[in-house]
Amino acid sequence: MDTLNLILATTFAPFAAFVLAILFLMRQPRLAQVVVIAGGTLSLAGAVSLLSAGPVEPLRYLWFTSGDIQLRFGFLLDGLSLMFGVAVALITLCVMVYSLGYMGHDPSKTRYFAMLALFEWAMLSFVYAVDLMQTFIFWELVGLASFFLIGFWYEKPSATAAAKKAFLMTRVGDVGLFIGVLMVLQVAGHFDVPGLLATEGGLVAQATPAVLTTITLLIFVGIVGKSAQFPLHTWLPDAMEGPTPVSALLHSATMVAAGVYLMARLHPLFMGSETTLGIILIVASMTALLAATMAMVATDIKRVLAYSSISQLGFMLLGLAAGSLFAGVFHLITHALFKALLFLCSGLFIHHLETNDMAQIGRGGGRRMRFATAGLVVGGAALAGIPPLGGFFSKEEIFAALGHDGVTLFSVVALLAAFLTAYYTFRMIFLVTRPQQVEAVDVHGDHDRAEPLSMALPVVLLTVGAAVAGFWGGDIARGLGIEAGHHSLAAMAPALAVVALGVLVAWLDFGRQTATRTGFIARMPALERLFTNGWYVDAFYDAVIVRITMLAATILYAAESRLLDANFDRLGFGVLGLGSGTRRLQNGWVQFYGGWAVVLVGLAAAYFGMSD
Amino acid sequence: MQLLSEILLCPVGALVLVLLIPARAVQAIRWVCALSALMAGVLSVQLWRTYDAAAGGFQFVEIIPWVEEVGISYHLAVDGFSTILVMLTSIVFFTGVLTMWDLEIRVKEFFAFMLLLVTGVYGVFLSQDLFFFFLFYEVAVVPMYPLILIWGSGNREYAAMKLVLFLLAGSALLFPALLAIYHASGLGTFNMILLAQKAFDPDFQIFVYPFVFLGFGVLAGLFPFHGWSPTGHVAAPSAVSMLHAGVLMKLGAYGILAVGIRLLPVGAVYWAPTFATLAAIGVVYGAFVAIRQTDFKFVIGFSSVSHMGIVVLGLNLAVLGKAGQDALNGAVFQMFAHGIMTALFFSTVGFIYDRAHSKTIADFGGLGSQMPRAVSVFIVAGLCGAGVPGLASFWAELLVFLAALKTYPALGVVIIVGLVLTAIYVIRVFSQAFFGPVNDKWDDLRGLDLKGWQILPRAILVAVLVYFGFFPSALLDVIDGTTSTVLTSFR
Repeated sequence: MDTLNLILATTFAPFAAFVLAILFLMRQPRLAQVVVIAGGTLSLAGAVSLLSAGPVEPLRYLWFTSGDIQLRFGFLLDGLSLMFGVAVALITLCVMVYSLGYMGHDPSKTRYFAMLALFEWAMLSFVYAVDLMQTFIFWELVGLASFFLIGFWYEKPSATAAAKKAFLMTRVGDVGLFIGVLMVLQVAGHFDVPGLLATEGGLVAQATPAVLTTITLLIFVGIVGKSAQFPLHTWLPDAMEGPTPVSALLHSATMVAAGVYLMARLHPLFMGSETTLGIILIVASMTALLAATMAMVATDIKRVLAYSSISQLGFMLLGLAAGSLFAGVFHLITHALFKALLFLCSGLFIHHLETNDMAQIGRGGGRRMRFATAGLVVGGAALAGIPPLGGFFSKEEIFAALGHDGVTLFSVVALLAAFLTAYYTFRMIFLVTRPQQVEAVDVHGDHDRAEPLSMALPVVLLTVGAAVAGFWGGDIARGLGIEAGHHSLAAMAPALAVVALGVLVAWLDFGRQTATRTGFIARMPALERLFTNGWYVDAFYDAVIVRITMLAATILYAAESRLLDANFDRLGFGVLGLGSGTRRLQNGWVQFYGGWAVVLVGLAAAYFGMSD
Repeated sequence: MQLLSEILLCPVGALVLVLLIPARAVQAIRWVCALSALMAGVLSVQLWRTYDAAAGGFQFVEIIPWVEEVGISYHLAVDGFSTILVMLTSIVFFTGVLTMWDLEIRVKEFFAFMLLLVTGVYGVFLSQDLFFFFLFYEVAVVPMYPLILIWGSGNREYAAMKLVLFLLAGSALLFPALLAIYHASGLGTFNMILLAQKAFDPDFQIFVYPFVFLGFGVLAGLFPFHGWSPTGHVAAPSAVSMLHAGVLMKLGAYGILAVGIRLLPVGAVYWAPTFATLAAIGVVYGAFVAIRQTDFKFVIGFSSVSHMGIVVLGLNLAVLGKAGQDALNGAVFQMFAHGIMTALFFSTVGFIYDRAHSKTIADFGGLGSQMPRAVSVFIVAGLCGAGVPGLASFWAELLVFLAALKTYPALGVVIIVGLVLTAIYVIRVFSQAFFGPVNDKWDDLRGLDLKGWQILPRAILVAVLVYFGFFPSALLDVIDGTTSTVLTSFR
């Protein structure tokens, strides 16, 4: 098959599955599952064969013309998109297969699988897009599909609220992105990504420094929304209301990763503005640290993972903003694998033990679920950055990039965040695997096999992936056309030390036999409150932003009904009143008419008489 | 007979037939309407496919002199804009008839008035004679009064009267302005193509243009003269709301374009900054007010004020030159997209209302599980309203926003931020009425969801939105050529 057909099949197979499922298979959920998984498999096969064929020239086709704007639809098949495309297709397929078990009893299975397919189509089309407007369009569609997935259990008010919050908060970011994209068109006159990135005649050459800073900052606003960076991060933990496989999909390799991918895609533009890079470093390091503090006090296993996603996304952006495309992309890919794995493992616990609370999972005998526990330990170790697992090498690259100009505030903050990461990850592992006592029987019914094949298989696959991903660094660097450097043991020492310290503290607090199983942070109640309440960001939004918006709406609605409408009514009724007044003159009394005639004629005569 | 007259004859012929059929033969009346609408639809698609977009300009010209002493003639022709607006009218006409299929009260009279209204609408889009243009315009507006008064719901007397008074006030501004244009030209003709070639005295244009703009602007739902429109939408029966918001409001915008901008370019440029500001206020204001509504139809009504603001904004930005092509393309595209979208909204809300007898948002909850199909269709319309890509409105908004950003950056940023407001009121309706815990009160609606042929009109409208969402060039290519011609006088 030639490249065009291959890429069309890769991107549109899930779309076809979506259309088929949603229009015709509402009543045949089993068939819908088959169709959607077939679509996902086709996509993965396509993405893999595209990757093995290697980069090719971009494909571009005219979509429409309006005046001097030309919009193209096409595919940019370079190292970055080919590698990330495979990651997306692989994890989506894992999630689809896993969902066979997890969503087995759901009455709206067709809708669920259809939305997964819609999501995959949007995400893959976003990854391969060659035109910045096309990128934006599919970016929005990714957001739309995740709205439906997060709110899948729409009868649950919390799920609906979470979906609404995710849609609106990312929308705030999208407004920035949209303006940024439109400004790109004004400056460059086209949306062609390779053209914009070109060293000669690209956007960096065309735009003045101020304009370039504005554009990249606006695009970054979109990234902040989508990749859940401070201060637009609060939608992500709430989005855990969706089914767990959805969390595994959205919060590892796809939706939230889209922001990081966009920055990687447009990396040369960002590199053109020092100011933007500085701001990104500040935002990303704050996010990495803040989210880690929230993860260390969360008790819900999915929330721990959610905060950890936010924090790790901050790490990726740190790597990119420190100038290393490789560091950001490497961590993007390793994180995709181990975070998807961790979510799927948490789903196994939740599905079988019917609780999200880590201590209860431990007491309920979570560690007896072998695949889930193995996945949790391997994925957790990768997340914490234990060598030689995936997360260690990629995080190491980020530290190296940050330490390039000597020790800065950012590298210190990043080390602190890495310490907390190791701490909260092992807190999670110890709470689940080393409970004080295991209750005799499973708390909740043994209605299913604890780990059915459809759910165990993706977990095993991803466990292997998370374990070996660290060794793909060289290949990824080559794919990006970058020479991967080697780091001496001395350079790795600080990171290794903080990770070891984090694990040790977690062991003292939660792991050892005599542990109190309360975090050290409990000794600082004020801080603990701050962390538990997510630094009060949501409280601020509710108290200020939401209130201001609703107040403005109320005031304008009052103006509409009391001012505009009421006055137009008054005008209408005034005319009516004038009519009724005049009608009284028409009373049928001849004397009345005669009297007025005399008076009026007399007045007229007097007037004309005087004017003579 | 030629194509345009054939299109115009569809509703006229059906009107005559409906008047001749006895009132008790309701089925025959429905079929006559549906078939005439279908025929008009087929002819409109033929017009759309055969209109030579590359050549642009007026095509399919038909002229029959009528009152030669004052220069009135039966003069039909279409350009790219009217081609797609005729298509819009046919789609809304056909789906509107299907939406009202179950009507039981005074069926004959209802469809007679509806056909009269549609005749007027086609007439405006096809006429190139100023006299006929205005005549058809009034023919389209007047049937709204009985349609709302007799078949409406809620506060219908008030709504019908308010609507008629606002629109007639608009006409009162228009009528002297049109006569002034006729006299000032000194050509002794109502031929709009000839009048457009005449360069009117700049002072005259600047004086007369506001009359034309505001006169038509009232019908386009221009802030602050939009008050009639939400109340009218709410009280009107489904198909009338569909035609009203879907097509009738476009007559206002089209009038501004065909009479205001074409005949009085200097006036248009002079007033554009003022009126662009007014329109932009309408965009944001309408969205804010929509957030606070408790009635489905009022939300849609105020969203129309907001979305029509984008059309009027586009028209004003068009004449300012900096990004005229995008602005005008976007404005015309939005007329089409918004027409289909609101038709879908009202067709679906009407369906839910007919079964639940409530359109208060807070009454519902979890309706998605009781009426999944109707709710899905409504969600598509809502997403289109929120400007989600993949649905037609996205392109229209993209083009107008782009032009706004180029012409007045600050104003552009404000209306793009307005997109968040749009998302708020749309998502608010979704989460309050369709999602959330199921309200048992509506369990008897479970068997009453869209089924069989009831799906047809909604499916057509959804398909049109999706089709032009993915293939915007199918419309843009037709619009673009005409836009260039219109804008030559502004370069």
